[in-house]
This record gives sequence, C-alpha cells and structure tokens, in this order.
Amino acid sequence: MTETAPSRARRVLPDPQSLTSSQKLMVFVLSMTLFGLANIFTEVIPEFKLGPVELSVAYLAFVPVVMVCLFHPLYAALGAPLGEIVFVDLLMGDFSGIGEVEGYLQLSLGLYVGGSLVRDPRRRWQVATAAIVAVLIDKGVGGIIDMSKVVVGVEDAEYVEGLPESVLVIEGFAFASDLLITGVLFGAIPAAYLARRLHGKIEPLMGMAPRDAEHPVPGRARQTAAFVSLAVFLMLASGVFAFLEAADVKFGVWEPGFIDRYGLGFLWVSVAVCAVVLIGVVVSAKALRRRARSED
Amino acid sequence: MARRQRDVLSVEWVKLELLRTAYATRGGLFAGFDPRVVVGWYAVFAVAPWLTHNITVLAALFAVAAVAVALCRVGPLVLGLFAFGLVTETAYLFAVAWFFDGDLHTVAALVTLSLKLGVVALASMAAFVSLDPEKLSDALVSMKAPPLLSFGVSYGYRMLPIIMDEFHTIVDGHRLRSAPLERRGILAWRVPVHIGSTLVRSFYPMMLNTAKRTRTTVEALETRGFTFAGESAKGRDIRLAYLRLRMRDLALALVTVVLIAGAFIIGELAPVFARDF
Amino acid sequence: MDDVIAIDGLAFRYPGAAEPTLKGVDLRIRRGDFTAVIGGNGSGKTTLCKAFNGLVPHFWSGEFEGRVDVDGIDTLDATVAALSHRVGYVYQDFGNQLVRPSVRDDVAFGPVNFGLADHRERSEAAMRLLGIDHLAKRYVWELSGGQQHLTALAGVLAMDPAVIVVDEPVAELDPARAEETYRMLKRVNEERGTTIVVIEHHAEFIARYARSVVLMSDGRVRWHLPVREALARRAELAVHGIPAPQIIAAAAELTPGAPVPLTVAEAAQCIRDAGLAPGPRPPQPEAPAPGPVIARLTGVTHGYKDVRGKVSTVLDAVDLAFREGERIALVGSNGAGKSTLLRLLTGLNVPRKGTVEVDGTDTRTVKPARLADRVCYLYQHPEQMFLNDSVRQEIAMFPEQRRRPDAAAVVDDVLERLRLTDFADRDGRTLSGGQQRRTTLGIGLAMAPALLLLDEPTASLDTATRNDVIAMLAALAERIRCVVVATHDMQLVAEWATRVLVLGEARVLADTTPAGLFDDAALCERVNLVPPQINVLGRELGIHPPPLSVAEFTAAFAPALAGGR
Repeated sequence: MTETAPSRARRVLPDPQSLTSSQKLMVFVLSMTLFGLANIFTEVIPEFKLGPVELSVAYLAFVPVVMVCLFHPLYAALGAPLGEIVFVDLLMGDFSGIGEVEGYLQLSLGLYVGGSLVRDPRRRWQVATAAIVAVLIDKGVGGIIDMSKVVVGVEDAEYVEGLPESVLVIEGFAFASDLLITGVLFGAIPAAYLARRLHGKIEPLMGMAPRDAEHPVPGRARQTAAFVSLAVFLMLASGVFAFLEAADVKFGVWEPGFIDRYGLGFLWVSVAVCAVVLIGVVVSAKALRRRARSED
Repeated sequence: MARRQRDVLSVEWVKLELLRTAYATRGGLFAGFDPRVVVGWYAVFAVAPWLTHNITVLAALFAVAAVAVALCRVGPLVLGLFAFGLVTETAYLFAVAWFFDGDLHTVAALVTLSLKLGVVALASMAAFVSLDPEKLSDALVSMKAPPLLSFGVSYGYRMLPIIMDEFHTIVDGHRLRSAPLERRGILAWRVPVHIGSTLVRSFYPMMLNTAKRTRTTVEALETRGFTFAGESAKGRDIRLAYLRLRMRDLALALVTVVLIAGAFIIGELAPVFARDF
Repeated sequence: MDDVIAIDGLAFRYPGAAEPTLKGVDLRIRRGDFTAVIGGNGSGKTTLCKAFNGLVPHFWSGEFEGRVDVDGIDTLDATVAALSHRVGYVYQDFGNQLVRPSVRDDVAFGPVNFGLADHRERSEAAMRLLGIDHLAKRYVWELSGGQQHLTALAGVLAMDPAVIVVDEPVAELDPARAEETYRMLKRVNEERGTTIVVIEHHAEFIARYARSVVLMSDGRVRWHLPVREALARRAELAVHGIPAPQIIAAAAELTPGAPVPLTVAEAAQCIRDAGLAPGPRPPQPEAPAPGPVIARLTGVTHGYKDVRGKVSTVLDAVDLAFREGERIALVGSNGAGKSTLLRLLTGLNVPRKGTVEVDGTDTRTVKPARLADRVCYLYQHPEQMFLNDSVRQEIAMFPEQRRRPDAAAVVDDVLERLRLTDFADRDGRTLSGGQQRRTTLGIGLAMAPALLLLDEPTASLDTATRNDVIAMLAALAERIRCVVVATHDMQLVAEWATRVLVLGEARVLADTTPAGLFDDAALCERVNLVPPQINVLGRELGIHPPPLSVAEFTAAFAPALAGGR
C-alpha cells in the first residue's frame, strides 16, 4: 500500500443541483410507478357514453404533471407513459401494439414541454399551465391524427354521406371534453394543489434539492438546439407511427392501388400536423428564451 | 340496506381480479412457447387486419383471436371491460348512423374499423395475459429494447400488489377520518366530486411514500449491478440463455400462417365489403 | 493485520447540511467479526455503513474526507459496482430492495447482472444456506416479512461478499423472525467466515450474537469493545437509548459485580452461584370485575378469496366479547386472523357469517365512516396514516372534519399529553419512529373512540421508545373504554395487557392472562411465541407463576436478599 498518498484525501462532489445518473433513474422509476398506479384507476372507471357524447377520464394527468414540475422534466416525462404501458397494457393484457408507441411519444412530449415551462413549482398558475399544455399537446396531436386517421383510413370516407363531418364533430367534442376533464379537472386543479404541497418535502426524501426559480433544474433545456431537434424527432416519429398504424398503408403489396386512390395527400396531413406543432414549439421556445434573457 | 361481504363487483373483487389477471391466469395457451414467437404471433394479428377491408376475413380473424383468448383463460374483469367497450362501441356506431342520417353503409364502414380494432385487442389480450411478463421483458431485451423498459416491466410486475394495497389503505384512512357525505346533491353530483377529491388527496401520501421506497430501490439497483449490466453484454447473455426455439414454437408459427391464410381464402370465396368496388 | 474494514479520519457532509454527519471516524473491523453498531438517532450509524459499500460518496454526493479501505480497496477509487462484490447491504426497509418478481430471480439478480457464469450455483447455495430454497418459485409479494428479509439477505449472499451489513433487522420483523434472521447470520458468519455488521438497538440480540460493539454518537465512534465489556457499561448505553437486556438488569440487581451474563442460562447460573433462591410470590391482585360489553362477535366466520381463487377461512365461528376497562392483546402467528378480526371490528369488512356489534350497533347496518365515531383503527405503518402536511393537521383531521364542538381544545390537549407540541408543525414522515408512533396514537386519542384497535404499535421501535409507547398506552386507559392490540411483542403483552387472546387455526385457542399464557409452554411453542427473557429466567429458577417484569423478578428474591445480608 502506498502510504505516500495523502491519507486525508478531500473530495467535494459536484453541485447538488446536477443530477447523478442514479437520481435520474429514481425520478424515472417514481414517475413510472405512480402513473402506472393512477392508470389502474382509469382502467376500471367506466366511461360515460351517450351516443356520440363521451365523458371519460382519459388518465389522471395530475400525477405525471406533478412529477415533471417537481423533478427533472425529461426523466419524469419518459417514465410516466411507460408506467401506463407496463401496469395496464402489459400486465392487464390491453396492449394495442404500434399505437402504444404513438401514445408514448405524444404524452412524453406533452409532459416534457409542460414541465419545462415551470420555473417555480410553488406557483399555481405555472403548474396549471403545464398541465393544460401537456394535455393539449398530447390530446391535440392525438386528436388531429385520429381525425385524419378516420378521414383517410376508412377507405371510403367521402363515399359515406356525412361521415367526415360527424368525425370532425365527434373528435372536436372529444378533444374539448378531454381538455376539460383530463386537462383541468384531473390535471391543472389537482396538480397545482399537490405540487405546492409536495414541493420541498418530496425532494429530500430522494436526496435531491428542491427545484425553484433560483435553481432551475438543468435539462429543462428548452432553449437549446438539442431540445428543438428532439421535438422535431418526436413529432416526426409520432406521426410516422400513427400513420403506420392508421392508414392501412402496409407495404402497398396487398393493395397496390392505394396511392392512386388517396394520392399522397394523407401523408401530407401528418407532415402538416407535425409542422404546425413544431413551429408552435419553436416560437414559444424562442419567446421563453427572450424572457429568460431579459430576466437575467 | 345491510352490507355484506361480496365476492363480485366490490373494491376487493376488482383488486383481486387485477391481481389474478396479472399473476394467476398465467399459464394459458402461450405460456409454454418462446416469448419471441408469441410476440411475433401477436404482431401478425396486429398487422393482418389492416391489410384488408373484407369483412369476412376480419370476422374470421376475429373468431381465431377469440378462440385464442378462450384458451388463455382471461379473467372476467378484463373480458368484461372488453365486452363493455365492444357494446358501447356498437351502440355508438348506430347512434352515429342515426344522428347523421347515414344508411347501413356508414355502419358497415365503421364496423370494418371496429372489427380491426377488436382483432388487435383480442390478440393482445391472448398474448399478453397468458405470457409471463418476465418472459415478455426478456423477449424485449433480446429484441434490443432499452434495459429500462425490461426493468420497468419486471419491477411493475413485482410492485403492483404492494402499491395497490398501500393505496387501498390510504383511501380507507380517508374514508374513516374525513366526514362522510351528508347530502348527495342534485343528480348525486356530490358523489363523484367526493370520490374524485379523495382520489387526488390520497395521491399526496402515496407520492411521498413511493418516493421513499424508490430511494432504497434505486440504491439497491446500483449495488446489485443494474447499471453495470447496462454497460456489459455478459449479464444480458446469461439472462437470455434460456430462450431457445423448439419444435412447438415452429408449430405455432405454422398454425398461425395456416389460419391467417385460411381467413383470407374464406374471404376470397365469400367476400363482404362495406361498399361495392 | 487482517482488518476487513479500515477507516481513517472519515468525515462526510451531505450537500446543504449545516453539520457534517460524520466527523472524523477511525475504525478497524477484523475479518470474520460479528459487530453490532449502536447509537441514537442521527448518530451517523447508517451513513457510516453506507461508506462501506461506496454509496457514500459515489451515490450520495457530498464533502468526503479521509480514507475508507474495504477488503484492501480504497472506496474512493472503486465504483459502487466493484465494491458490491465485497460488501453486501440489507436495508431496514428490505422489501424495497427486492426488484424481481420471484425469489429465485431476485436472488440471482446480482450475479446475473455482473455476468458471473456460476450465477445459478451461487444463488442456489445462498438460498440453501438460509433455508429458503423451498420458496424459490414464489412471488416476492406473497412472502411474509421474515421470508422477504431472508430473500434480501440471500441476494446479497449470492455475491459472496467479504462483509455483510444488515440495517436494523429487528425493526420490521417480529421477534421470532428476527431470531431466525440472527441464527442465519450466525451461520453465514461461521460457515463462510463473512464479516457481519449489524445496526441494532436491541441489546438482547447483541448479547447473544455479536462479538464486538461499536458505539456511535454525534458522528464519531465513542468506542469499539468486546461484547461483554460493552454491555457492562449499562448507564452509558441507557443514555444512548439502549437499555440493557432484562436478564442483565436483573443480574445487576441481584449479583452486582459478577460478569455480565449474555444468555438466560448464564444468568441463571450466575444467580444460583450467588446462592440466591426465590421466595414464594406474593398473591396476585384480583382482576377487577368485568365492565359492560363494548364489542361482541357472535358466530363470526370470515375468509378471503386468494389470488388462485381459493377461499381460505381465517376465522371460523368465533364468539368473543370485549368489555370496558380491558386491555386486550391479540397474539398468534402471521395469518392467524389478527388483522382480519380488527378489520371486522372497524366495519371495513363485514363477516360472511355471524354478527359483529360495536357499542350496540351491528356493523352491517352502518357505513364504516359512521362507525369511525366509535371505533378507531391504527395501522402498523404510521406512514400510511399520514395524510396531511403536519402532525397537528393529522390529529385535527377527524375532530375538525366531523365538526366536534371542542376540536381545537382536544387537539392541543392531545399534542400536550403525547409530548408532540414541539413537532406539531412538522411533517409526520420526517419524524423518528417513536414520534411517528406517538402521532398515530394522537390520531386515535383525538377521535375519542369507545374502542381503540392497534396493529403492532411497538414494531420497528428501539427498546427505549418501545417502553415509552407502552407507558403511553397504559395512560390511554382513562380516555378510551377498551383497547385491543394485535402484536408479536411479548414484552408489550407482559407489561401492558390484562387479557390475552391467542388466535390460531381459525379460532380462539386461548382466552387468558399474560401470566397464564407464559405459564403454558406448550401453547407458546404451538403458536411460535417467544416469552420475554425475564419470564424464561424466572421459570428456569422455579418462580411460579413466572414474573412478567424485572421488578416482579427481583421482588421474588427480596426475602433471599434480606436474609443473605
């Protein structure tokens, strides 16, 4: 043993604000477990359907929203939808295949953007906004994709009298009710209430420093090019998966005439949706960066 | 009204049914097969319905998937939820048709879509209810899924009953210690509000308790080499060593191909379409 | 020099903490030792033990100073993964350490992750050594606490480390299971030569199993002594919240100056050698006449459907009456129906057959929320009862929600009586085990029920806090008409209860007094109860009926002592 080394080695480990890999894992696992549990409820709560009018709790949005507000938004956002897949879809045998990937990406993106908007989880309006933004992105992208799915996917949409209109009305209503029930009643209101109560209490239990305005969590990196490119990627991936599932495209072999029949038009729908959302994200990111700069 | 111990349609029952779905019903049709083949089987059934608009083919596929579900001993709760969805879906279809003065063609067009979704749902029930989640997560790992996904499946499988019990305890605590509902209000509107707010409040202790639990779990993962395994392939190879294709797996693949082909042949012989081509 | 652990000048401060948690620790632990680390809350025991396997400072970052060598490796240079081949850690909340669904998979988790080719042999050997090989295929969540603990230990053992650290094994286990764990640790220590380090509050276990004792206080090691010397420092230990085991206390009274006895046999020998013999015991005071009935079970049959669809009968045609003024202990092994009986009394469950009446009301006729005005049920884990932000809110929840007229006064009174006023605004989860337990008692007191039900109120408490809780339970009597406790803690039964119900085989095996229970060795054996040491010692020395406390024990020798001197 070399006793020449100073026996009193001193070492200060990095800034507690930066997360170690195990802390990221902790956030991920916590978010996954809690949202998984929450989804078991929504799985057994029956939906109220009256003709085309449907009132249902899509998911308990407040659970993952609280997680992305209090912790590192990226890891919490990645963990939560996995909880749904694991606890409900796989364990209960309710796995819908490729569509799950679409759902996973939409919800992750929504949560991540929502969580990144929050600067101080104690401020109710910030948390409430995060919840609404998360559901808006998830359900908005999902709704638009669903709509185009039926319009394009049911081979003869224009052939059936009144179908496109009905789908528009139904999807529009579903979107509104999702936004109200999932986004506000089970999203914004409880999240704002819980985030404030949990702030400063739950972090020490996991050996982390609480997130507040002076100590923004790194990885809330909405200003960076990396985030924008991630958003682009998620958007495109989400659109691609959605259409793979939806549009009966399936390799053309079985229905060689499909491009003739629809034209390439419906593919453009997905690109258009992605583009619109993407532009929105970029514009808001820029605006936020300006604001952040002016505050500095 | 006197209360009594109920074995069906109570909270206890739902809890038990969920557990039975997750644990005790395992060992049905697909339990003995290589999980990768089962995932493949599922993938075939998830894709095939989208390749046709022929209602006969879809009905045949639906029947095959339904038989598979029957052989997989799927529990009543999951089946019930599925049937409930199917019935409301049908009601919804007719409502749509009626609402927009559509004729039967509208319904037929939508039936096509519902049948497709139904086949996928049944196939997923059969595959994932009878397949041990552990094996499933191994199959995912062997298909190069991220290790976190396979860990998530395995951990969720282990934690499910425990966190459900804990949540139940907390909800009971709320029931006993807060004031019971005095009036139900018009259309009993207070009841869902009361249930909703109890649900939300119960998540407060649940989140704190789970955070504490997670800390130990992640520490333990670290000391037990979880991160290490993510960086080295040796552990993965050992874990997957038992996955081997055998005769019966090939037989399953063959039977699947024959059934799918059969469905398409029947479709050719007696086609039914939502519209005339 | 064969020190498996060598620590020089270790200091550690958690980020954001004002004070360092460890302030210059120097410690040597010999290879193959069985060491108990003791010390009060916040003395740095757990942080010290986490420095052994590198979690401090690699996982929990902070200011780290000094040097820790484990099995010849400097922990600062090694990774946690590399250290886990040398140090195994079994947590206090060991249930959360199990990450795979089945026992075999969990035990093999470490070896498989590290890609060890002999992972199967390792895990089978570990399970065999701990006697849990028959559980290999079971799901982790189906296991009892004791079995889970052994599974966690097996998972650690499968890595074949040089050191195994076990954090408070007794905390979450009943005494009989803890005994089992200690027997297994001893076996591992002897057969594999593994160094065992336990963090422990219970001097009884230290006396019987440890070979050396480390006392921590205020972030420093006070001393590291052989067990007999350590336990002889009774006064110093008591200051740190570790009262001496009953037999040592008794022997110190009767034979001061003699070497400290570590087992009942040694204590008996020591007292016999001193020529002391017990006198006849004074007649026991008459039990007070039973009061009016508070709760009654008539022909109650209940059971649950398990995951495999079988209905198991937990209680079969049970008739019982609970009367005013009684302090009732429900004992019996796991699954004997203790919790079921309590849940039936709360109305959360109603019996399949028969009736349960509480304060004259059939539980079938009212909702449990209504019944809560008369019955209160305190869960085993205080954390599951903490629904609010602060201790005060927890206690105030029931009286305020139910609009009790004097709610504010009741809450203040309860806080005062349970010495909780100083923590009233803290979150329950941040308190120590004893404070948490007092808070749950406060919740019960503020509900002012006729019938108070407690599930394992002394579990996971150190000895000093446990005695404190027992004293508080005794003080409840004036407020609450009848208290029922389900417990494995025989010292609680001995010192607190006036009536004991032994459950087993779906019925009441015995309805007796504590003295009656401990006098019946066959019954204790049958339901796997370990009587308190002082009771065993009394029986050994021929005191009849055997004493329930140290005071009763020494009183039996009063004539001998008076005559002898």
